[in-house]
Amino acid sequence: MPPAGIWIDGLVQSSTYITMAFGMVLVFSILGILNWTHGQYYMLGAVIVYYGVTAAGVPFPISMLVTGLIIAGLGMLVKKVIIDRVSGDLYVGAVTLALIFFFEGLASMLFGMQDKGLANVMPGSMDFGSFSVSYQKIAVVGFTLVVMIAMYIVLNRTKVGLSIRAAAQEPRAASLYGVRVDRVSLIVMGIGCALAAWAGCIMGPVYSINPFIGRIPMIFSLLAIVIGGLGSLSGAIIGGLILGFLNSVMAYYISYYSEVVLFALVIILLLVRPQGLFGAALK
Amino acid sequence: MRKWHGITAVLVVIATVLGIVASACAGGGEKAAPPVATGPIIYKMGCPTPLSGPAAPWGQAGHDFYQKWIQLFNQAGGFKVGDTTYNVTFTEVDDENTPEGGAAAAKQLIYGDGCQAIVAYWSWGMPAVQAVTTPAKIPLLTRTGNEAVPMSEGGIYDPAKYPYTVFANPSHEQIISDFKAIAKAYPGRMIGIADSTLGKGPGWDVVDRTLDAAGIKYHHEWYTPAATDYTPYITKFKEAGCGVIYTAGDIGASFNIAKQRWDMGYKDIVCGVAGPCVDPSVYNAVVGYDASQGFIDQYFGIWDYKDTKIDPAIMAMAKQVNDDVAKDTGAPVVYTGWIGWMPSHMLILTQAMTKAGSTDPDAIMKAIQGGTFSTSTGTYTMSGAKTYGSPIVFGTPGALSQIKGDKEVYLSESPWTPLP
Repeated sequence: MPPAGIWIDGLVQSSTYITMAFGMVLVFSILGILNWTHGQYYMLGAVIVYYGVTAAGVPFPISMLVTGLIIAGLGMLVKKVIIDRVSGDLYVGAVTLALIFFFEGLASMLFGMQDKGLANVMPGSMDFGSFSVSYQKIAVVGFTLVVMIAMYIVLNRTKVGLSIRAAAQEPRAASLYGVRVDRVSLIVMGIGCALAAWAGCIMGPVYSINPFIGRIPMIFSLLAIVIGGLGSLSGAIIGGLILGFLNSVMAYYISYYSEVVLFALVIILLLVRPQGLFGAALK
Repeated sequence: MRKWHGITAVLVVIATVLGIVASACAGGGEKAAPPVATGPIIYKMGCPTPLSGPAAPWGQAGHDFYQKWIQLFNQAGGFKVGDTTYNVTFTEVDDENTPEGGAAAAKQLIYGDGCQAIVAYWSWGMPAVQAVTTPAKIPLLTRTGNEAVPMSEGGIYDPAKYPYTVFANPSHEQIISDFKAIAKAYPGRMIGIADSTLGKGPGWDVVDRTLDAAGIKYHHEWYTPAATDYTPYITKFKEAGCGVIYTAGDIGASFNIAKQRWDMGYKDIVCGVAGPCVDPSVYNAVVGYDASQGFIDQYFGIWDYKDTKIDPAIMAMAKQVNDDVAKDTGAPVVYTGWIGWMPSHMLILTQAMTKAGSTDPDAIMKAIQGGTFSTSTGTYTMSGAKTYGSPIVFGTPGALSQIKGDKEVYLSESPWTPLP
């Protein structure tokens, strides 16, 4: 049995993937695209919150809130100006792939490539005897819980949520009932990008920050939603938990072979259940 | 629509032809111009180095220092080949830290910029760069690593195939010296060696054998290149009883390991990286002020060396470079890593040319083999025939510093010894 610290680590990793995956699921549900740039919104979130805290002196929570709003606006702008003008899933995919390098290059030029850090935000740790957990990691788990609850409330208890669910399930019927699907998809893009940015913000104090930090979280959150089932928020939670725990526990037992086993398990899962654990059966 | 396709195609062809003609004219112009002996002859050196991508901070870190060093070296008279005085230039081209980028950059430097030697090359792609420099008979001064382990030792390196390669920074000898310096500073502590699977290779077998022979206790953990969370590996190091975790070269990983071990409550474990410190304030910001205290780096502040002798003139010039760069940038210099690379390689090369009395690559290589050279990290006689199958391996001491406050201070040192 791995030590408790490994399980807690798995929970922290899962939390990041879940927050990221929520945004991807939302965008996929409404826009029908995988937003490959999701990891770069994560990176931009971390970079902007870094400057908010260190250069502007804005307290971390406020800086984080503002960063989410900025990235939400950026995501909406990208949708309006670029994605909406490109037709065909393949071309939209190519555009969002190109944006990965655009945003990384832009961040490199504007912010530099040297690692930056927010280690001094929420310093200290909670002691559990044989191990301790930093307040930063506790904040990551706490924030993910808040996001999960907020998402549940927004989607199930608000008009916007109802519109989003309607647009996701039957966009034409929804529009006949007065739902402005184009506006809903714009809002969803904004929420999705903001979630990625907030994941980047909350992870900023945990890891180092540079223009390339978005790539791995993007891959793992994509895997989380593939495991859970594209378009399923509960699937994203389960997928994120499976990935986070497997990654941590297997790295403890089998070191660098962990990723080989992890990705082999994902492939086997998809062979057995192509729609993922909670997705609708594929045609 | 078809008309536009046709017009586009014609425009592309015209642009291509014009480009070829223009570059041919430019090249032809250079060739046609006779050399005018108005001053020292210029010997051009170049380096493929990461100027973009994740490794760029280390590629960019040395730039100002290298150019200032070259300026001072030339002002001091450059170097002599017979009665002729030479000055040097140093050009860096982005290689994105990839083999294909390294090969492309080497081609650009050799065939585009006319460089006569590649020096200070440390990126990820030595075999690809060697494939460019060797047929062009361009001396390549680089580091060792897994790529330099000979076939007889389970590696891929064949010294007979690459007669113009000089291992001016022996990575494995240096890291062994680092471990000896760590053992000196922290006697009795088991050393945890953390490296990415990208670094896994026969070179580590050589290191392990040497550490075993020296009686240094160690424990390896290999993490995946994509890792950002090192909790499982740190847990394993702790369980193995490691009192030090030394990361082999990956500074980003070393940041995260140092921070995460602190967060996990393992505050007694000292962390470090087999690379020079770029800026202690970055460590304080990324790792956290408390967690970064005592962090170990390779140290090239040669004026603080106690066991390795450096030519005082070289030391003075290195200090002057630091002072000048500090004046130019308006900030105190906190990076000393530059001293162990380009200046060291350039000194080997220029001294070899002076000894050979020629700039001919074959004459240079003959002078380098078996020769003794005074570099910015000490004076060394070529060795390595038994280990790399090549007699052209230089030395670098394992000198370490530690972060104290927001400064890098000398910790300990183990002078270079050739691999057994």
